[in-house]
Amino acid sequence: MAGSNEVNVSESKVCSLFCCDSGVVVTFCTEIEISPEDDPAEELALILMKSGEVLLKPFDEYNFSSSQTVVPLNTWVLISNFKVTYNLLRRPDGSFDRHLAEFFDRKVPANASPVNGVVSFDIVLDRLSHLLARVYRPAPDLADGELPQKALLSELQKPPSPNPFPVIIFFHGGSFAHSSSNSSIYDSLCRRFVTLCGGAVVISINYRRSPEFRYPCAYDDGWTALKWASSEPWLRSGKDAKLRVFLAGDSSGGNIAHHVAVRAVESGIHISGNILVNPLFGGNRRTESELKLDGKYFVVLKERDWYWKAFLPEGADRDHPACNPFGPNGVKLDGLPFPRSLLVVASLDPTQEWQLAYADGLKNAGHEVRLIYREKATIGFYLLPNTNHHHEVMEEIKDFVKSNLIVSTNAAD
Amino acid sequence: MKREHLERSGRGAIGGFPLSEGKMMGLEETAEAGMDELLAALGYKVRSSDMAEVAQKLEQLDMAMGSSTSQDDALLSQLASDTVHYNPSDLSNWLENMLSELNAPPIPFLPASHPIPIGSDFLTGNLSSSTEPASADYLNLHHRAVYGPESQVNGRPKTRKRLKPSPSTAFLSRAAAPATVSTPAATVAGEGSSVHSLVMVDTQEAGIRLVHALLACAEAIQEENYKAADAILKQITVLASSQGGAMRKVSGYFAEALARRVYRIHPHLDASLDSAFSDILEMHFYESCPYLKFAHFTANQAILEAFSGCSRVHVIDLGVKQGMQWPALMQALALRPGGPPSFRLTGIGQLQPDNPDALQQVGWKLAQLAGTINVDFEFRGFITNNLADFEGFMLESPSPGGSDEPEAVAINSIFELHGLLARPGALEKLLSSVRSLRPRIVTIVEQEANHNAGGLLERFTEALHYYSTMFDSLEGGGGLAGDGEGQQDQIMSEMFLGRQICNVVACEGADRTERHETLAHWRERMAGAGFQPVHLGSNAFKQASMLLALFAGGDGGGYRVEEKEGYLTLGWHTRPLIATSAWCVAGSVLSDQLTPADR
Repeated sequence: MAGSNEVNVSESKVCSLFCCDSGVVVTFCTEIEISPEDDPAEELALILMKSGEVLLKPFDEYNFSSSQTVVPLNTWVLISNFKVTYNLLRRPDGSFDRHLAEFFDRKVPANASPVNGVVSFDIVLDRLSHLLARVYRPAPDLADGELPQKALLSELQKPPSPNPFPVIIFFHGGSFAHSSSNSSIYDSLCRRFVTLCGGAVVISINYRRSPEFRYPCAYDDGWTALKWASSEPWLRSGKDAKLRVFLAGDSSGGNIAHHVAVRAVESGIHISGNILVNPLFGGNRRTESELKLDGKYFVVLKERDWYWKAFLPEGADRDHPACNPFGPNGVKLDGLPFPRSLLVVASLDPTQEWQLAYADGLKNAGHEVRLIYREKATIGFYLLPNTNHHHEVMEEIKDFVKSNLIVSTNAAD
Repeated sequence: MKREHLERSGRGAIGGFPLSEGKMMGLEETAEAGMDELLAALGYKVRSSDMAEVAQKLEQLDMAMGSSTSQDDALLSQLASDTVHYNPSDLSNWLENMLSELNAPPIPFLPASHPIPIGSDFLTGNLSSSTEPASADYLNLHHRAVYGPESQVNGRPKTRKRLKPSPSTAFLSRAAAPATVSTPAATVAGEGSSVHSLVMVDTQEAGIRLVHALLACAEAIQEENYKAADAILKQITVLASSQGGAMRKVSGYFAEALARRVYRIHPHLDASLDSAFSDILEMHFYESCPYLKFAHFTANQAILEAFSGCSRVHVIDLGVKQGMQWPALMQALALRPGGPPSFRLTGIGQLQPDNPDALQQVGWKLAQLAGTINVDFEFRGFITNNLADFEGFMLESPSPGGSDEPEAVAINSIFELHGLLARPGALEKLLSSVRSLRPRIVTIVEQEANHNAGGLLERFTEALHYYSTMFDSLEGGGGLAGDGEGQQDQIMSEMFLGRQICNVVACEGADRTERHETLAHWRERMAGAGFQPVHLGSNAFKQASMLLALFAGGDGGGYRVEEKEGYLTLGWHTRPLIATSAWCVAGSVLSDQLTPADR
């Protein structure tokens, strides 16, 4: 790089793309420190022009958004595609084009044949409501010469290990309205969790979505799933034959994980840990981050409002406790054996202040929170394994699960 | 040759299909085509070299859509409700189409139509009601899907734009920087690439033991250990008796098929008796679950669209049976803006010695219907037990002369092709004859299952999962009336499926005609035979979903329509069970006018 001391070179990370007059593409794999008030793209352009190495067109002739400078291009394409297609689905009157949504969603079948050492199968948790879940687990060991087709079936519902193993109940994201347990982005993520957490069983819940099914349907489905898991003998492990269950979710899934955890601890079910990645929380008040980052990094406030309106009961506002658990209508969690939480917040997520307020709320009630604040991360970084955000957060999740797998259930914890 | 490769790799105890059906592409294919691996693993096909261009199109589209003025709301609403989308996996083409829609001359904005109330009687393709046209509302389904809502208001058809990908324009190009990939895509199938898609309903110990016993029996037979197989069969009887519902019934059929093998009782094959009885069972199957309705509906959609603008059309139905598919198509044609084309139907049927006029009767009933809706109609029937002789029939019956306009031809095959796989070369011969007719469209519906490869155990396992899901849907599908008629429909449907089970498990060689293969395999066969895909779009998807909601109530119950790279599948819960695809002759002039297929 040019010797400009405004540039901090760190390990190769995100690549940025610029066009110049000659049509040659210049890519930089470097991270540049820019103060928060500045538009990163504009800053970078100025730096480059000052360094004299590259001639750039006048800035307003370029049409790239600043979000393209902070994520890899294929991630940008993935998340922008969701944004654009989702625009077609939300109607101003609050209804949702469910058929078109299902048309767009890329799905994959479960697969009881091992792929990278992981198998999956779907299970009907409730026949009447067609509540499905997808179970992911390490491929069962086969006896010598045993044919996989036959062995798999009976082995699928046996414990994956004689040693304690985590059971992760996962709630996919999608702002309560989008995606399913068989959406390819979430199938991919859940498979990773199995291997990441040393042979976990991951159960992805196909909860009912809004606007067809509002609060509290998604929470009820989560609760049904947790009760089911509690009653399955093969999910227990360790000398004390315990269910070592973690509740996890991204976006709306994180929100669901919290509320299911509350219900669990109120009912005496022990949860080993909560893992919330960019969880969906909000409130009536407009926070500074929401105003500043509105529309900048894939997230648009107006859209957020639509999803809350579609999920919350008719007539409720965003200070409803489902949306704002530590707000004016929140429920006190003091004294409850609420699990330890791992909370991942992205600095370019407009709703971050609500997530940070959530962390504070937990701490104030006496509960442990490990907060991971990722600078310059946008929503959705965990969908593709192509950034340090992804890899480092995965490591955090792995460590969190490992360290909470074998913990005494003493309420003094 | 591709076919040999398929067959060879299909053998062996551990599944070995070259195509990973759980993912869009295998790793090697992805790399060869220059596709971004990470996106491919998630179901999106974007060439790395196109990434920047795709990004720019996304930006353009986002900017065009984003904004809170009322004008843009109208635009967005129009884009959302009127545009027909195809193959969301092909981002580049999809974006191109969307941007073209934006640049199209403005269509007068109409308020979003209220959903048309649709009566339930449209679902019957029953010819006994042929004196009355099917419910107008059902026709609206077809009509709206093909012609768009505004055509009914203004009386002029909206031309659906089918767009080809435009060559890269000469703007400053941005090449994508390769994304940092530290780990291989976690979801590429490597070991044993067949996909075993399981939906477990019964997690009871006894249910699992029953399945285990069935598989053990099949394995014993495969190893020719008939003594062991016999012993296990007795266990199965005991285990099955403790089950209920779908599990008991389906295991009963599989056990019976296994018994036939063990005791060398070959299924009685009287072709004539078979055919008539089979048709009756199929009619009950038609009533009790939506699979056949879906097949007819989606095939008709594609045919209607392909016939757009043609004044003389000819449909060749490779298995016309009772002709249940055609009243709906004829009625949709009758309501076409500009009037119906003249409609010729060639129906191929099987010989029924007890009723030699059966085929003619079908034709006659359809002709009656045509008369009442003023569609110029001609029917020709051909009787054969061997579809591979197709060429012969077509030579016998040249296109009626005396008209300047050539006939537009559609070939329709609902569950007819897999039977040809029982005789080497038969399918190729048929496809060659089909191709020589230069059809505008070929519609194919097949079971989405792998029942034609590997040894007995593998086939058995696949079939067990498939039919368990099928039977489960019959049990819980919600479409059956609680009364005696509904029950009878269900029983007959189970028998209909039971005969398939028996064939898959107990027959071999030329007798085994239920040689189901998945869409991935049919795609290869069709491509090898000189066809290219015609994609089914979001309009067909939506209408099919609405049909399911009507049939099964509410949100369709457990039935699911899925879109997969231009094809549609109908399944139960997360397991696709049948697949509809459409094709045209590769490289023909016609193919340019139809939806572009991805290469």
